[in-house]
Amino acid sequence: MNPPDSVGIASLLSRPYKSIRLEWSSELSALRVRTCVTPVQCYSLAAMGELQRVLLDITENQGLVKHFVMTSDVPGVFNFGGDLSLFVLLIRARDHESLRLYGRRCVDLLWWMETAAQIGVHTTVLVQGDTLGGGLESVMPFHKVIFERSAQAGFPEVLFNSFPGMGAWNFTIRKSGFAVANEMILSGKLYTAEQLHECRLVDIVVDDGRGEEAIEDAMRAVHPRLRGTLAALQARSIAAPVTYQSLMDIVDRWTINSLSLTDRDLKLMERLARAQARKGMRGVTEGAVEEIKRVELDRAWGEERTGITEWASL
Amino acid sequence: MPNFFIDLIAATDEGRREFETHPVVFASVAHGMSIERYRALLCELYHIVWHFNPICAAAASRIDDGYANIRHFLYRHIHEESGHEQWVLNDLEAIGVSREQVIARPSQNVLALVGFNYWASDRRHPCSVLGMMYVLEVLAAVYGGPFSATIRETLFLEGERGTSFLSSHASLDAVHLAELRDILNQLTSEDAKAAVTESVLVNFRQITSVFGAI
Repeated sequence: MNPPDSVGIASLLSRPYKSIRLEWSSELSALRVRTCVTPVQCYSLAAMGELQRVLLDITENQGLVKHFVMTSDVPGVFNFGGDLSLFVLLIRARDHESLRLYGRRCVDLLWWMETAAQIGVHTTVLVQGDTLGGGLESVMPFHKVIFERSAQAGFPEVLFNSFPGMGAWNFTIRKSGFAVANEMILSGKLYTAEQLHECRLVDIVVDDGRGEEAIEDAMRAVHPRLRGTLAALQARSIAAPVTYQSLMDIVDRWTINSLSLTDRDLKLMERLARAQARKGMRGVTEGAVEEIKRVELDRAWGEERTGITEWASL
Repeated sequence: MPNFFIDLIAATDEGRREFETHPVVFASVAHGMSIERYRALLCELYHIVWHFNPICAAAASRIDDGYANIRHFLYRHIHEESGHEQWVLNDLEAIGVSREQVIARPSQNVLALVGFNYWASDRRHPCSVLGMMYVLEVLAAVYGGPFSATIRETLFLEGERGTSFLSSHASLDAVHLAELRDILNQLTSEDAKAAVTESVLVNFRQITSVFGAI
């Protein structure tokens, strides 16, 4: 007869998933989730449903998983964040309820990360490419955030008159302080891994190609003192609390604001959504990050001076 | 309130994204298309639009009395969409295609699309018509605007000449999409929901084939 642990992990690993791939390391009791959402590496409803299923399995089998690791299988992209194409659809359908539900599902994923220490799980994330908006929000509650040097991240939502509504304010303020949160969220700028490390939003920066090693090192460093670390992390949540209610209240504000976006805002959102999809296509290396840079340039040098840029023609 | 609309979006997300990221669709929205391709697309659209109301009528005639709200929704929709095939013919005329050329013969992809929708309304479940409506309205409301703007720009068409069907449906169908969402959220029967979901998947697949083949 198999020991209970092996039965639990076998059933956890045997579920059929489309957007994620699971790997198990019995030595450290580490479950690794590799994400690959097609055709765009973002938090689609289907991908979030699968992630939620995995997290629920971990919660229901407490003690089985001690380390939770998340990485991306898509070269050059960790996660583009919210499903912009879905937002456009829901906003055009004036679907307040579904937008709110989407936001709440995102918060539920974040909340699991935020409370993972309570169920004995230490969380680590490796970012090896672009991560924008909701993609960046999703890494912030992880206990250990590792970026490879070429990774870039930011909250571009302000460019289309929105804001990151799923934890950006709460977690950036807690990790880096109010001034940094203000600057990052209100500017819409993109940041390098080094810049994010300097403001303590990222814990470790490693050279490109060294991320795997860094995950292993991070887990092995914490493993011998896992119980103490998790206890300390729970105490940290008391010292610097982020509440579920405040996250949900912000989602509600985000929903109301989303429905006030103009046609021009939606067109820019569509432009970024197309850029996200472009990066997934074979042989194409430019994606949403490059498009955001173009929008910023258009704004800075085109629209304000001449009013005849691509931006202005949106 | 039950939210079948969001469940439907999630269950059919892949089909929508496959349409959106099909190389022909993607290139068309971003860079437009040649006049020949645009003519071919409008000819195909004509047949889809022409059969839209008869399919809705077929579904309305077969729908159970328990779905009176859906039957009345279909009546309203049939009334609103009535004559829109003429808009497609006008656009085609503006880009040099005669009525006779258009009506000639739809492609096999269009025949399969239209044929499925008649069959599904008749033999599968009359509510499956809502799946066809969802796909066409999502296409118009989400992709119609950027697509018609790009076409106007790249083919140097003035005003709405040649793009009146696409551009007016882009704004019209945003309203229709909101109405359709309300109707879908009133569905309670699991059979009806399954039929709508299946219909959305088939319609996305077929419409992607229509675009891919032009």
